[in-house]
Amino acid sequence: MNDEVLTLVGDGFSGLEMKTPLEEIYTKCRRHRRTRHLASAVAVGAVTAVAAGVTAITVAPASHPAKPANARLAAFSISAGANGSSALTLRKGQQYRLDPAALRQTLAQHGIPALVTVGKACDSSPEPTGLDQAVTEQRHPGGSVTLTINPREMPPASELSIGYFTTSTVLALIQQGAPLHCTTLPGPK
Amino acid sequence: MAFYEASRDPCLRAVYAVVGDRRLAEDLVAEGFARAWASWSKVSKHPAPRAWVLRTALNLRVSWWRRRRRERPLLGADHVSPPGSAEGIDPIIMAALNRLSRRQREVIVLRVLLDLDTHSTASVLGIAPGTVTAHLARAADALERDLAENHYPMTMERNR
Repeated sequence: MNDEVLTLVGDGFSGLEMKTPLEEIYTKCRRHRRTRHLASAVAVGAVTAVAAGVTAITVAPASHPAKPANARLAAFSISAGANGSSALTLRKGQQYRLDPAALRQTLAQHGIPALVTVGKACDSSPEPTGLDQAVTEQRHPGGSVTLTINPREMPPASELSIGYFTTSTVLALIQQGAPLHCTTLPGPK
Repeated sequence: MAFYEASRDPCLRAVYAVVGDRRLAEDLVAEGFARAWASWSKVSKHPAPRAWVLRTALNLRVSWWRRRRRERPLLGADHVSPPGSAEGIDPIIMAALNRLSRRQREVIVLRVLLDLDTHSTASVLGIAPGTVTAHLARAADALERDLAENHYPMTMERNR
């Protein structure tokens, strides 16, 4: 094996050093311990709410066969697309106007079970795979992003977790009923 | 904590190699360590705690407009440093790494940057140790060809 080139790779990263002080890690750790139970309780409530929404959607097609209504609000818009997918556009800079409950309810109407949070992002353990199959994204020049979400590609008993931050949005698939880990980790610049 | 002192830089380099953003990588790794400590009774029994931190950190990311760059880094200009690129990183090495196949890149990240042994790497990736060795050898060959094509000076020449 060419060990020299592997050494080059190691050397190529050797100038990168962690600057976060130990105290900050401790602080995060303590905060995480304190909030774990609270986060779990909130998560259970959210999952229950989402599950209720899914139930409603499951029943809805029999009596309301029409396509789900399009919606356009300040922070987001959503429209039904092809093959059961929906296009969700999140407008950058409108985060403060985002109503998580409204977005979650709108997504549910499009057959997309979701957990929507502002200022924090949640994932589950275990974390289902398949995010890339279920969600594709298109970024617009102004910073807004359109997500094309196909709930048929989402694994069974999974939900889409959307964590909305000031400068970014974090996506993940979460497992229904699984413990959630939520973080207030700020997004990238 | 000795684990943090010994593992923070390797974890940061490994996460940076995946996400390509210095600040994001640092935030993710810090959160990964915080979670590791919060669950240290469990993590300390993990066969490769560094890999636990790495996986936790990467599970926290997925910012969509950065994920596109991370997962499809070959589209477009390879020689343009991405926003958030870090001082202390050789951009040519980083670009070459991004041109590897996903599996080869994973093996390099775990074996070289995270400094896991072959068996731990195999365990993390769910593949046989021999497969790790094979991927590593192929990755090294591919990197050598790539760097040669880009006229990258090897060790002796660089030290002159």
